[in-house]
Amino acid sequence: MSATTSNETAAPDLSAIARPPQVLNNRGPLWVTDAVCSIVEGKTPLWWYAAISVSGAFAAIGGACILYMIVTGVGVWGSNSPCFWAWDITNFIFWVSMAHAGSLISALLFLTRQKWSISISRAAEAMTVFAIVCAGVYPAIHIGRVWFVWFLFPVPNSYGMWPNFSSPLLWDVFAVTSYLTVSSLFWFAGMIPDLAVLRDRATTKIRKFAYGLVSLGWLGTARQWRHYEMMYVLLAGLTSVLVVTVTSIVASDCATSVVPGWHATIFPFYFMVGAVYSGSATILTLLIPLRAIYPQLKELITPSHLDKVCKLLLMMGSCVAYVYVFELFNAWYSANPFERGAFWERFTSSYSWYAITCLSINLTIPQLFWFKAVRRCLPLVVVLAILCNVGMWFERFMIVTTTLTRDFLPSSWGNFHATIVDILTATGTVGIFFTLFLLFIRFVPIINMSELKAALPGSQPHGDSAHSTGEGH
Amino acid sequence: MKKIFQHPARDAKPTLWRTQGELENSAEFNESLAREFTDAASGRDAGEGLSRRDFVRLMGAATALTGVGLTGCRRPEAHLVPFAKGAEWTVPGKFLFYASAMPTPAGAVPLIVTTSDGRPTKVEGNPLHPLSNGSTDAFAQASVLDLYDPNRSKEIKHDSLTVGRGDLDNLLAKIRATAGSNAGDGLAILVGRENSPTVERLRAALVQQFPKILWVQDEAISSRGAEEVFDAMFGAGARPACDVAKADVILSIGSDFLNPAESGFGFANGFAKRRDPKGSMNRLYVAENHFSLTGGMADHRLRVRASEYGDFAAAVAAAVASKTGDAGLKSLASAYKGTGVTFDPAWIKGVADDLLSAKGKSLVLDGAQQPAAVRALVIGINAALGNLGTTISVRQTGAKPAAKLSDLCAAIKAGSVKTLLILGGNPVHTAPAGLDFANLLARVPETLHLSLFTDETSKVTHWQVPAAHYLESWGDARSLDGTVCSVQPMILPLWNGISAIEILASLAGEKIDGPSAVRATFASYSKDASDAAWQTFLKNGFAAGTAWPLSAPAFNQGAALAAVQSAKGSASGEFEVVFLRSSSVDDGRYANNSWLQETPDFVTKLVWDNAALVSPADAKALGIKDGDWLRITAGDRYIDAAALIAPGHADRSVSIALGYGRNGVSHVMEKVGFDAYPLRDSSTLGYRGGVAVKALPKDAYVFARTQEHENMEGRNIAREGTLGQFREEPNFASEMDGELPKPVSIYPNPPLTGDLQWGLSVDLNSCIGCNACLVACRAENNVPVVGKDQVRRGRDMAWIRIDRWFASADHREESLEMIPMAVMCQQCESAPCEAVCPANATVHSEEGLNLMAYNRCIGTRYCANNCPWKVRRFNWFDYNERPLDQLYYGPLAPKGMADSLKMAKNPNVTVRMRGVMEKCTFCIQRIEEAKIGRAVKAGASDVTKTPLPAFKSACQQACPSEAIVFGNINDPQSAVSKAKADARTYSSLAYLNTRPRVTYMARVRNPNPAMPGADLVGAANRRNEHA
Repeated sequence: MSATTSNETAAPDLSAIARPPQVLNNRGPLWVTDAVCSIVEGKTPLWWYAAISVSGAFAAIGGACILYMIVTGVGVWGSNSPCFWAWDITNFIFWVSMAHAGSLISALLFLTRQKWSISISRAAEAMTVFAIVCAGVYPAIHIGRVWFVWFLFPVPNSYGMWPNFSSPLLWDVFAVTSYLTVSSLFWFAGMIPDLAVLRDRATTKIRKFAYGLVSLGWLGTARQWRHYEMMYVLLAGLTSVLVVTVTSIVASDCATSVVPGWHATIFPFYFMVGAVYSGSATILTLLIPLRAIYPQLKELITPSHLDKVCKLLLMMGSCVAYVYVFELFNAWYSANPFERGAFWERFTSSYSWYAITCLSINLTIPQLFWFKAVRRCLPLVVVLAILCNVGMWFERFMIVTTTLTRDFLPSSWGNFHATIVDILTATGTVGIFFTLFLLFIRFVPIINMSELKAALPGSQPHGDSAHSTGEGH
Repeated sequence: MKKIFQHPARDAKPTLWRTQGELENSAEFNESLAREFTDAASGRDAGEGLSRRDFVRLMGAATALTGVGLTGCRRPEAHLVPFAKGAEWTVPGKFLFYASAMPTPAGAVPLIVTTSDGRPTKVEGNPLHPLSNGSTDAFAQASVLDLYDPNRSKEIKHDSLTVGRGDLDNLLAKIRATAGSNAGDGLAILVGRENSPTVERLRAALVQQFPKILWVQDEAISSRGAEEVFDAMFGAGARPACDVAKADVILSIGSDFLNPAESGFGFANGFAKRRDPKGSMNRLYVAENHFSLTGGMADHRLRVRASEYGDFAAAVAAAVASKTGDAGLKSLASAYKGTGVTFDPAWIKGVADDLLSAKGKSLVLDGAQQPAAVRALVIGINAALGNLGTTISVRQTGAKPAAKLSDLCAAIKAGSVKTLLILGGNPVHTAPAGLDFANLLARVPETLHLSLFTDETSKVTHWQVPAAHYLESWGDARSLDGTVCSVQPMILPLWNGISAIEILASLAGEKIDGPSAVRATFASYSKDASDAAWQTFLKNGFAAGTAWPLSAPAFNQGAALAAVQSAKGSASGEFEVVFLRSSSVDDGRYANNSWLQETPDFVTKLVWDNAALVSPADAKALGIKDGDWLRITAGDRYIDAAALIAPGHADRSVSIALGYGRNGVSHVMEKVGFDAYPLRDSSTLGYRGGVAVKALPKDAYVFARTQEHENMEGRNIAREGTLGQFREEPNFASEMDGELPKPVSIYPNPPLTGDLQWGLSVDLNSCIGCNACLVACRAENNVPVVGKDQVRRGRDMAWIRIDRWFASADHREESLEMIPMAVMCQQCESAPCEAVCPANATVHSEEGLNLMAYNRCIGTRYCANNCPWKVRRFNWFDYNERPLDQLYYGPLAPKGMADSLKMAKNPNVTVRMRGVMEKCTFCIQRIEEAKIGRAVKAGASDVTKTPLPAFKSACQQACPSEAIVFGNINDPQSAVSKAKADARTYSSLAYLNTRPRVTYMARVRNPNPAMPGADLVGAANRRNEHA
């Protein structure tokens, strides 16, 4: 914990090992409140309208494509035999994985009292929820008969039919729905005190009513804080478990199958580290430009915070690299011609450029973050983070689609060609994501004010360390 | 076949009348009435299939057509009755079976036709027929679709105007009257080759009445040339009868004898019988220019250009002659003026020695399209080997030769043809280009074309008459051995089609009433013409004892020498173009049949197209890839066609299938393939030498192929070995699995408690890859057609596919082998698809079947991803309900299928909607029917102890070589149990421990150790993997 002590007699200079402050320039709680609330309360900037028009348009086109797909047939995508899944599941895994970094930062780091995560946790959680929404689009619509999607839920019915609990897709249903529920709750619960602040500062009736409604009558009493803290810890606990389980279950889609290139026990770990890796990259991609737009955030989201996200990205990127190497080793070591063939084809078939792009990005880019100069050069970090996500998309495609194109019988090998509907649906989910994120920026405090204020120097009656017991407020 | 339920005859003096003519009931009035109320005028839209009213009216059940094992014998009427009336011998929903036959140029295919509520829906082979083992070929299976094709020609037209049947009758009466006055001068009749005794009888009658009539017979892909050689050697009308089953050593020189469309029935089965390595296995040598079905079965195969078949035959003849000292054969061999090309002497010697070692038990075959010289050489070799009278006999058909198409053209040129009736074929499309038939046809003052479709010929004739399909008309046809088969109508003509027999009978002045013409013919050749004999003929589907008599042939050395001397060598440096019979559209006659268009070519796996096949070496020399355009120039004509690189193809040779590239006929065949007919001349029907081939700098053409990767990549999928290997280690195939992991399963497997357990075995040693099972499955299981675009996207729906593997142990074209492997749902006991379906839509039955509950399927497609054999098929679109060219229009496209196509569906099999997965069910509808039959039979007794009624899966039933065996593996006596007990049996992908119920029996090749490259034969599984 922070090393400020009240030992006045011997005051060795600890600044060299002191934790960097959570808020720069010794700002006080009021400044924090003003800085964060001003983003929501200020006049809607022009760039926001422009941005949401673009992202909204993409989302609308994506929605239209989905509607077209539903009324016409899954054939409007490029999926085929042997690639019965292609961009649908590629994008599903891409989005659902991205979500995980947010949960990890907000829940796992909350539980372990990593205060540096406070200022980025709200945005990270928002990213989580929106990414799950984007991910959730695909499993719901990619099926042949959407109108029977309820067959996936264990709904008591007159047929006496029950879903098949041995199917990883069913596990997916539970995993994704519980993840969406829990992470939304966690996100929302964390916002309640901040929404109450907005309510209290509201100048118009509509705002007062709206924020009053969503702040659920928050008064900030000690009793409310006590219950709130307990609930928040519990939800954080649940969310932390989900960080590990959801990707593991999504990974089971691959791992429990017999398809060479999918059938590997490393997949849960593989997906998990890839998930946090891509999520960290997304957080960097979102927050660094946001800091540029709202300069006050520079004091709240400090270079030190971003530096830590970069380090997280580096660590997860290295894990991903390890998995790549291990996967190849395993394929060779298995001495199984189908396993070996799958990986050989991955690098020699017409899809080799996917694998090469994926590997060349994911093996090299994160390693640049070993260098402090790179981590501190924020424009470069944004570019590299975007590249990391590009690499991860290629990885997801490589895993899902390339693997399917080259399975057991070479006679059924085939290639996948994305159609315009595939592409516009994918860009549509990007549109949905950014639309939601823009709405988030505009209407919700993007930094967890209450928690951050509690982490300010001097905010704890018994010193900073009291916070770690969770009873400091 | 006429309807009997017509308007009641009007009274001679009606009490109510509308016109004076009606009151007088004058002939003029009746005629005008008929003309006025044609079908077109009665409100039926010609373009749109059947109306509902027609549907009910036409669903007739044949009556006197005594079904197999059914009770129709006592009904003497020979009429079709509307199904709306209800016929007492039918049980709604129960199939009726009738014997019939499909006439083809190669000889009738004896059939049992399944009719459901008056609609023929499926054909099977007639096992009673001596030549048939109850199997069929792809064309016969697909013929049902032709019957219901909504694009069929529907109205009689005269100069593009719709006219009535009365007008046609008037025309025929006029022709008859004119012919009667001038002895038939100026009357020409062009028929196809349907081997119908009734047509022959009517021909004789016409010739007798009108001696000057010109009777022409023509087929686009004809064995006429070969027959002429035979005529010259063994007397007019002599036809070879080969017994493949008797031959120990077979040499095929460009003969695709295993293809039923090429050679008729009996060859594949006879051949397969001799491929059991436990018995005395035959040996097959093939010299051919392109990979054919037969080449795929070869033990030794040599790539030889078609124009060098003669050189090859002469080389073998010389080698045989030098061993036997046969002076006759020696003179034949030396008389052949070849191209001077030489072959590997070791190959020739090896073949010749092997043939000689099996004297009298060998067989040398040639293709029917080859020049007389080749055939004469081949007969000479067979004679020298003592095969005449043993493996080759001669049947005396007594057939009188008809005039050829070239004779007709000459007559038209001379202006001596005034009336031409074209009662079969499509000569405007198929006639050799040099004849200029289309222009000559325009010179004939009166022309009539009888055909199923409004095709190229119909468009230029004055009269177009819709032909009756063989399933809707009376007829007869001789099978390959001459046995007369009955052809019975299963349904009233859907669009008032008329058969050639009806037209010929009217010309001959015969009054036709149902089967009367056929019956009259029956009386002429049958010793017993009684009603009972006639009924037996119909019931059995053939008249026993009507086969042409066999005789031992006497070899006519002089005729053979003359034929050999007729050979003209061609320079070997130029390209040749070889015209192939298409495995999908034959000579073009099935071009409108989408089942066949979507059936992959045997070897190239190409659908909805043909291609110019070139060898890899030629492709390299020409600098082309798959789909690049070639201009093939022969004389003053050329065609542009996209090329496909065909492994195992001879160099400096291009092969192209006929019957494609027909634009402007119907939307089905629009933009499908390339027309090769313009390159054919009367003298170059089989192949044409001296053609120039050059690559065109055009954008590559896009082909749709169902299999694009033909290399097993060192995986032991299709397994093969040699006879020696088999004798040393009979279970060599299962040994290839090596050490398998101990079978463990984390899930309890479904209990397999049924007393019946279904299993299937595919014998790769007899599977020739002929596609019969594919089309049979499509017909039986209502498998939709998806069109070229969808196949190109990898979305073909076929439940059973034939993977074609190429293997070459030393990576050389010379040692290339082909192995076809039928792959259907493997019905795994521990099925990967079942575990992953979240909706429980694919589950296991107690009888070991992997079931699909279509209603429960939501289409996650996970099952298909997890299927190692990729046999699951997904309905990406509403293939059954939307036009294939408007699949992407979604709800904006018209919905529904043509009513007539609905009639072709098997009512026992669900038609699947979009968004659901489907796959092979082991023909569960047949299984259930058999089980119900068993339960009914068992009554109160123990049903499990009651024998199951005999039944087969659709693929098994269609298989000409009996490679597919299906049945109850719980019964150790069943054929499938015995097949699975064979040492050659293995499971593909056994290491996955899915325990497939489909097993394969490894292929065993029988190489001759004395042959060059013998050690490379049967080596498809020799390791050549890269990883």
